[in-house]
Amino acid sequence: MSGAALERVFREASGRIVGALAARFRNLALAEDVFSEACARALEDWSAKSVPTDPAAWLYQVAARAALDGLRRRRTHARFECQLSADFDTDPADLDDEAVIPDERLRLIFICCHPAVGVDARAALTLRLVCGLSTLEIARAFLVSEATMAQRLTRAKSKIADAGVPFELPAPRFWPERLDAVLATIEIAYGKAHEDAAASGPHAHFAAEMLELTSTLVHLIPDEAEPAAVAAMVRLAEARRPARIDSRGLMVPLSEQDPQRWQRPLIDEAIGYLNRASALRPDAVRVIQAKIHAAWCSRRTLQSPPPWPQVMSLYDSLLTRRDDPIVRLNRLVAVAEVHGIEAALSELESLDGGLLRHFAPYHAVRADLLRRLGRAADARCAYDEALLRTSTHAERKWLTRQRGLVLEPQS
Amino acid sequence: MQYALLIYEDETLYGPGKKGPAIQDIVSRHMAFNRELGAKRVGGSGLAATSSATTIRTTRGKHSVHDGPFAEAKEQLGGFYLIEAKDLDEAIAIAKQVPVLQDGSIEIRPVLGPG
Repeated sequence: MSGAALERVFREASGRIVGALAARFRNLALAEDVFSEACARALEDWSAKSVPTDPAAWLYQVAARAALDGLRRRRTHARFECQLSADFDTDPADLDDEAVIPDERLRLIFICCHPAVGVDARAALTLRLVCGLSTLEIARAFLVSEATMAQRLTRAKSKIADAGVPFELPAPRFWPERLDAVLATIEIAYGKAHEDAAASGPHAHFAAEMLELTSTLVHLIPDEAEPAAVAAMVRLAEARRPARIDSRGLMVPLSEQDPQRWQRPLIDEAIGYLNRASALRPDAVRVIQAKIHAAWCSRRTLQSPPPWPQVMSLYDSLLTRRDDPIVRLNRLVAVAEVHGIEAALSELESLDGGLLRHFAPYHAVRADLLRRLGRAADARCAYDEALLRTSTHAERKWLTRQRGLVLEPQS
Repeated sequence: MQYALLIYEDETLYGPGKKGPAIQDIVSRHMAFNRELGAKRVGGSGLAATSSATTIRTTRGKHSVHDGPFAEAKEQLGGFYLIEAKDLDEAIAIAKQVPVLQDGSIEIRPVLGPG
């Protein structure tokens, strides 16, 4: 097995194994440490011999044994005596028979997203422990140095340990208030997967992970609208993946994607979730957002007109619930199609550019409007600004092509 | 685990020297809360007004004695509970029931040592 393949195995196993270990030993840092230890052992062992049939089970057993050994050594120290609870005091012998790793990822998510953990640290911790991202990758996603991120993660883990954040799933009466943090975290994590349009990068398996997690969440919390809305959104976005990049590796904008390449079964599943969410709370922010995705996915062929008027009116109702520059920017894309490019551009220029200026889509939308108005020099400048802030390959290629479409003004 | 619940309120609401009419009201609510806590209450007490506070500051091993509380703020430490709770969630649930007159903050701090 190649290094990259091994890394993928480790990453995919991470959430389940760290979750199971954390639930069992009630210690996040320990769970993470012994999992790393098991991965290091696997690197030596598997290259010398062969890869076990169930690599995850192997990793779990080795990690759990390392944790037990460590705890046993520490037990000589009287101070730790009281921290050892009966449930892992008794059963080291069972370990070898343990082929099935208990799925404690939801528990792990609720721990990582506890309100006592700082908002920034929640998503970072979830990406690290549940999704198995490296500290460096998370640091890049959050635009901080690796050292800063490492410190943030360590602090969050100590807070969880020292403050006595429970390792049990919260009682159902706590779910509503705990849920928003969990959903926001899932959105951020899925955002990472979505950025990677070709699904070939290190976040490729995220998407599948998020599909599974959201359905578990809906199953556990059936009476709340927003988990179902997020489950719908993740599926609708994921359904479009096959159409998001063309054969030359260029991004395809939503309105130009061939709906026949979208994955219908995922869309159907999503509509089931959306109907459920809509019946519970039709005007919740995440429900409206899911409806926007659904409006797009209701298109059947490239020949049928894009649902711009419907999309615009959904953005209008979203604005009454959540008015921020990014919602306004997204709405403008629809405004350009419904009310015309001039109208959209003048609204765009009136947006608060302070925050948006650092945001690539702002420049991309602006460039597109300027190009279509024939303002060649301004359009090129805006494309350059967008390119400067875009990191994904497919988007850069698309922006470069669009920039090339800017016509010289007739003289 | 044991947690300290530190109660921060604007003490001027209780009148000069915390002897105004509101103090009767809050004391009876604390007494009712104490009964409700039962064995979960390990200790605790209200504190006299910060006008009675004296602060000893240590700088490079030298002590100096100052009049007043450690920090001047809009809300002051006015009392505390020491409770026994299963975990932070239980401590949070208990802290939410601590009576405060109007606005206030309850800081939850795990107690060091074997809990």
